[in-house]
Amino acid sequence: MKPRTFFAFVAPSLALMVLFIAFPLLSVLTQSFQNTQAVFTESRVEKCTPGFPNPICSQETILVAQRDASGRALTRTEFVGLDNYRKLLRTDDIARMVAEGRASLSALLAIDFFHALRFTLSFTFITLPFVIGLGLAIALALNATTRRLRGPVIFASLLPFIITPVIGALSIRWLFAGDGVLAGALSWAAGQRVSLFAQAWTIEAIMILYRIWHVAPFAFIIFYAGLQTLNQDTLESAIVDGASRWERLRYVILPHLMPLIIFVSLIHLMDSYRVFDEVVGFSSQAHVVSLQWLTFDLLTPDNTGNRAIGRASASSMLTMVGIVLLLIPLLKRTWRDHRGLR
Amino acid sequence: MIRKTLAAAALTLLMSASAQAACGFQNTVPIRMLSAGFDAWKAVSSAMAECGNVQAELDQEFAKKHVAAFAANPALYHVGGVATETFVPLLNAGTIRPLDDLVAKYGKHLTPNQLIRVDGKIMAIAMMVNAQHLMYRKDILDQLGIPEPKSYADVMAAAAKIKAANAVPFPVGATMRTGWNLAQDFVNMYMGQGGAFFGEGNRPAVNGPAGIRTLETMKALTAFMDPEYLTGDSTFVQKQFQQGRIAMANFWASRAGALDDPKESTVVGKVKMAAAPIAVPGGKPATTVWWDGAVIAKNISDAEADAAFRVLMEGMDRQMVEANNNAAVWLVEGFKPSAAAEGAIATIQAGTPAYPASQRMGLLHSAIGSTVGDYFTGKLTAEAALKAVEDKYVTAAREAGLIR
Amino acid sequence: MADTRALAPSFGLKALTAGFLAVWVIVAVFPLAWTALMSFRYPVDALSGDPVKIVTGAFTLDHYRSVWIRYEFYRNFINSMIVTAGVVTISLTVGTLAGYALARTRSSLAFWLLIGALVFRALPHSVLVTGYLPPFLQSRELLMPLWTSPLTGWFFQLFSAAPPTLYGQPLAIIIVLVSINQPFTIWMMRSFFMNIPNELDEAARVDGCTHFGAFWRVIMPVMWPGVITTGLFSFLLAYNDYLVTALLLDAQSQTMVPAISSFLNRDTRGSDQIEAIAAAVSITAPLFLLVMVFQKQIVSGLTAGAVKG
Repeated sequence: MKPRTFFAFVAPSLALMVLFIAFPLLSVLTQSFQNTQAVFTESRVEKCTPGFPNPICSQETILVAQRDASGRALTRTEFVGLDNYRKLLRTDDIARMVAEGRASLSALLAIDFFHALRFTLSFTFITLPFVIGLGLAIALALNATTRRLRGPVIFASLLPFIITPVIGALSIRWLFAGDGVLAGALSWAAGQRVSLFAQAWTIEAIMILYRIWHVAPFAFIIFYAGLQTLNQDTLESAIVDGASRWERLRYVILPHLMPLIIFVSLIHLMDSYRVFDEVVGFSSQAHVVSLQWLTFDLLTPDNTGNRAIGRASASSMLTMVGIVLLLIPLLKRTWRDHRGLR
Repeated sequence: MIRKTLAAAALTLLMSASAQAACGFQNTVPIRMLSAGFDAWKAVSSAMAECGNVQAELDQEFAKKHVAAFAANPALYHVGGVATETFVPLLNAGTIRPLDDLVAKYGKHLTPNQLIRVDGKIMAIAMMVNAQHLMYRKDILDQLGIPEPKSYADVMAAAAKIKAANAVPFPVGATMRTGWNLAQDFVNMYMGQGGAFFGEGNRPAVNGPAGIRTLETMKALTAFMDPEYLTGDSTFVQKQFQQGRIAMANFWASRAGALDDPKESTVVGKVKMAAAPIAVPGGKPATTVWWDGAVIAKNISDAEADAAFRVLMEGMDRQMVEANNNAAVWLVEGFKPSAAAEGAIATIQAGTPAYPASQRMGLLHSAIGSTVGDYFTGKLTAEAALKAVEDKYVTAAREAGLIR
Repeated sequence: MADTRALAPSFGLKALTAGFLAVWVIVAVFPLAWTALMSFRYPVDALSGDPVKIVTGAFTLDHYRSVWIRYEFYRNFINSMIVTAGVVTISLTVGTLAGYALARTRSSLAFWLLIGALVFRALPHSVLVTGYLPPFLQSRELLMPLWTSPLTGWFFQLFSAAPPTLYGQPLAIIIVLVSINQPFTIWMMRSFFMNIPNELDEAARVDGCTHFGAFWRVIMPVMWPGVITTGLFSFLLAYNDYLVTALLLDAQSQTMVPAISSFLNRDTRGSDQIEAIAAAVSITAPLFLLVMVFQKQIVSGLTAGAVKG
């Protein structure tokens, strides 16, 4: 294909991605090295609020924004180098702890960023094998049952995957929180009241279970489709050679599915690395937060309009670096494939 | 655009057909409003819509959109629904207009309490107040011979008795979800302890004896709560009350009505409203007073502002209050305090301070909300948690230029 | 096929397989079924935490009535349909073109484009989306120079007298969702095209077709399983999106998913919560239908292409 034709085909897609992804990303990168402040003066004024029977008035200091000729609020932006990154990672505190010999893993994990990193990574790598394993098990089991059953089972299996994530998380929460029916069942089985949302490890376990429930169907449907393309001759010759069921799985089926297992793993790595819905859906903020939640929290203005754009940008850049590191194996493979094409 | 116009036209037709008579005039200027979505706003916005050409957006994300939408020129909305805290960024940004002349023209009936003045100028019109105050199960306390708790010492003693009698699964409920709710509970208790939030030059001052006493009191109360209290928001506490799982809570006045709704509550008529408990002898009730009200954008024409204010006054009139008396503790004339409003009024009359909203308070509130949870989960001591709050606040305040 | 005699599993294994599938189906369906059940009960029963009350409580359609009629949920439904249809159409058009080109080229540029797309696919969305809000709200002012400058003004004024406010415009949200989903779409379409032999378009080219002609007349007809499968993923993304739609749409153009949060976060009464549940069930129902109709295509589509890449 000639470069010109190539460009003509790719241009619309490229333009969209540049405008709505690359460009915002570039501005995030710049902002991670900047600090922007409103220019204001403080003034002491009398402020009155309702009271019964008369309003309550008090002297208060308010900040009055300075504005330019057109009435727009002035801001001052300065380049601060790596300051935002330092503040986010609290490098000064860490250096002090090391100097005083108080450095420990638990002290490190008390810092928001590392706490979020710890959770994000363990969430990602704990769910991974379960998603693959469960998906594979369902696909193999379904492939071994009668045809008539397959349609309904596929239908039921896909539900957790297609359902709106917010709704899925809520419906799981309604089951386990407070006096939800499954929490009640667990309490009954344990003989005492079980509060699943009262300590970190149970919340983490529910978040992990939810994610497995939600994503395993995706793995299942991909693996099941892969099983349909399995070469029956190979399988039959393996049987003729006297391969046991386990050996057929180990030496014929798994190698055939391997590219798909890698594909699902990578999609899952990307998706679970940006875990966010679970934190909101299960309101786990008191116990565990994820990297994307941390960024989002810094970025969302509070009710008086403050937000930490600089640190939020630094946090999202570091999150990105993390995902690129996780993706390196896939990048290498794609590069090899691409070279192989030449 | 066409679709929108059509939809708006259809909406207008519907509204005008139903209750044309309810509005004193026919509004011809298109007015847009953005506010929160709770019952009181629904009442006000539908009363406004009766005048015609009003498009009200009741959106939970309103606070995120207000600042940019009002800074646009022309502003995207004419009327903004705000509360004590969300009023601050608009005021600071200078994107709302003083209302003195409009009040003189259309707002003669407004009570002094409704006029939110800053530096002598009226910047917002309040319509209702809200506060967290004590709600308790009168039947249970009476049965156990416990008088109405006046202080947190009383609450604790009552809770111990209720627990011993096993009258409900958890004697106490609280809105302590990590984040804004938890910080709000801290602020209530801290102000009840008489603590000051800031020192010189916007420096924080929470890491002191008052802060530690606050955390310790809160922790002592948690012994009587559902262990999942750090995920509990207002809806959670309301549900606990309605299902008869708790006996006492320092809870939002705006939720009082729901406890007496037979369709969803099992404790109709059993919950009594009282002033918020005090934290130290002789102190003010340990809570803060909030108001909700409306502002008018600056970046719109004077004619639009005139129409917007006139419509707003129709939304906040006696008729609306009479039709929705129990939806809130209204400041509008014509409000008849019901049993549900008793607690809020008693609280405010005891001299409870207003929530001290400001930009620095916003930063401190966030710092508290995201940090003190670690004290309750046992990760940090009270001192360490308060120090972490101050560190977080200082970092953010430096960035904002509040601390030099 | 797998049911030759030699492959026939023992009875024990059969029972194990069936048991496992049964357990899985229950786990997959139970949370949703239970939620659906709650939506037909009055708050007093539904929120009581007592399973007996939830199962045996009085049946009511009140919540559905109030969601669809009183709160006019059908408006949100229409908005959802507009946004979803727009995203699927544009996403597939743009993505198919790019996917085809990427599958048929060997330049390093294409490689870096794919890698870029992959990294974009991995980006946390909240980072991007929160950045969109201020420019979307103020777009009228920000775009004004384009309308007033003598160079470009005449062109833009052909469309409208003044720049639009992008906030609350379904078309703007469609474009944003298409962009965010574009990396996934082009990867998926590319792997489908990789499985269509190059000889096919070369033959067409020999017959005198242009690249686009070959693409349109020869390749597209065999691409439908791939297009449908990719389209379904686009559909799910657009239909299920919360982050973008909650922030960038106003009340008039709000889709169903963010509308739910207004039921949940309202200064709620118990009935609001059940209404939220009823709305949630209403949102899920079309997805049910979708899977029923397209179930076969999903499997055959995946079998045909994407899963090999």
